[in-house]
Amino acid sequence: MNAIYDLIVVGAGPAGLAAAGSAAQAGLKVLLLDEFMKLGGRLLGQLHQEPGGAWWNGIREAELLVLGAQEAGADIATGVSVTGLERTDNNGWTLWTTQGCYRTPFVLLATGAAESANPLPGWTLPGVMSIGAAQVMTNVQRVRVGNRGVVIGMSVLAMAIMSELRLAGIELAAIVLPPGNALSGKDSNPEAVLDSLLRFANLAPNAMLKYGAKFLQNSMLRNLALNLYPKQGIRMLDVPLQLRRCAIEIVGRDAVEGVLVADITPRGEPIAGSERVVEADFVCIAGGLYPLVELAAVAGCPFRYVPELGGHVPVHGENMQTLLPGLYVAGNITGVESAKVAIAQGRVAGLSIAFSAAAEKAPGEAEIKDAMEQVKLTRHEALIQFHPDIARSRAKLYQIEIV
Amino acid sequence: MKETSIIVCRCEEVTLEQIREAIRQHGCSARETKLRTRAGMGICGGRTCRPLLERLMVPLEGDHASELPLKIQPPVRPVSFAQWGRSL
Ligand SMILES: Cc1cc2nc3c(=O)[nH]c(=O)nc-3n(C[C@H](O)[C@H](O)[C@H](O)COP(=O)(O)OP(=O)(O)OC[C@H]3O[C@@H](n4cnc5c(N)ncnc54)[C@H](O)[C@@H]3O)c2cc1C
Repeated sequence: MNAIYDLIVVGAGPAGLAAAGSAAQAGLKVLLLDEFMKLGGRLLGQLHQEPGGAWWNGIREAELLVLGAQEAGADIATGVSVTGLERTDNNGWTLWTTQGCYRTPFVLLATGAAESANPLPGWTLPGVMSIGAAQVMTNVQRVRVGNRGVVIGMSVLAMAIMSELRLAGIELAAIVLPPGNALSGKDSNPEAVLDSLLRFANLAPNAMLKYGAKFLQNSMLRNLALNLYPKQGIRMLDVPLQLRRCAIEIVGRDAVEGVLVADITPRGEPIAGSERVVEADFVCIAGGLYPLVELAAVAGCPFRYVPELGGHVPVHGENMQTLLPGLYVAGNITGVESAKVAIAQGRVAGLSIAFSAAAEKAPGEAEIKDAMEQVKLTRHEALIQFHPDIARSRAKLYQIEIV
Repeated sequence: MKETSIIVCRCEEVTLEQIREAIRQHGCSARETKLRTRAGMGICGGRTCRPLLERLMVPLEGDHASELPLKIQPPVRPVSFAQWGRSL
């Protein structure tokens, strides 16, 4: 049993890296563990242009955070999965990993978010993957996912990754909606999808979406737009955005050969006789993201169901502390948001832990307050808003739980 | 839509129809549905179908509204017995 660390951070995404850096900087002995072979978490796949024109290159951002954590003196290990977490009687935590067992007084869970799917017939064929898998293969592993793809599901995340696939020169035949069934819910309703797309219209490289979005805030015009929406779609980055078409089935004998699609009404019902097969050799399913809370659950953390944040989140305060002594959370495990917010939350967690642990160079309360303000500011300015009510639901969570 | 041909739990090959039928026939909770159909009990430990199963369940109410519908057990990753033994 290894018991030399003051703090063990699980997950080396932006939140975990930032936290490990600031806690180590304050004088704590920190170990950062991640099960992937590379450091950076979901940051590694991100590549997009900011409104000012500068590029956000996740690989470079990750390198900077890793350097910061290393220079501050944190130990880092990759390829290690944490499989269990249990509170031990003498004020500490036991962590089970695929490489031995650790004991430590402070644990930070920064395990991020996971993708959920929208299943349809044929989704188990080789060549079908989640949109996030396509992102990792393209931007991290530099493997060509296929020659011609179809994306099923329209969300902020799907659009962001679609533009990355285009940058890599990969052809996309169409983006269509998932079929309506007990699982897809609103994701298969053109009206609801258009609503959610309008929230990030400022991201759209397509002028019509960018400038059209303002008018579409008006519901009468929105219905008109849905009714007039061309079946073959509106092109964005050379990909037809087919809001009035859904996938029915992924077809192929031993692997993906195409997708059977059908036109749909503005409410999402398939129009009989409109079915046709779109040829493709890979398919990306874009469902949603949900906080990856497994370790918080096995630790016995109380949860709150907050749909705006992506589902069940461990109850925590604005200082990132859970209701269990010594256990903290930061990043997407606390709610699905962009990478910059995760970094800012990581800093708060690192500082609050250093404060609690009375570390040698522990920050003062003012410094922690500043870091918490920074989270709100970053959230306000975030380019990708995964949900319009994040700020409000956060405020509610923190007011209710922390007196 | 053909619910018989939509697989929800890939590890145990349980279809949407089987899960909906179990819920309809027995009015079961998330846990009971899992035990009856084996959905979520495969090698991935429900990492893919857990959110799908939760969407199919009647939401919990009152004091239970904030509980995770399906309990999570360690180890939270598939590990070999040898690995598990070594970590004790
Ligand atoms: C597929 C996908 C694409 C995304 N694309 C974007 C985007 O383009 N732009 C954007 O702003 N946001 C995007 N996001 C949101 C993204 O999650 C945040 O931007 C940010 O990366 C969250 O940071 P984090 O540190 O909380 O978690 P992550 O970056 O997800 O890092 C979590 C880390 O924890 C590790 N981990 C998890 N469980 C364990 C365990 N049990 N043991 C050991 N290690 C573990 C993982 O390997 C991972 O490296 C995306 C999210 C996903 C899931």
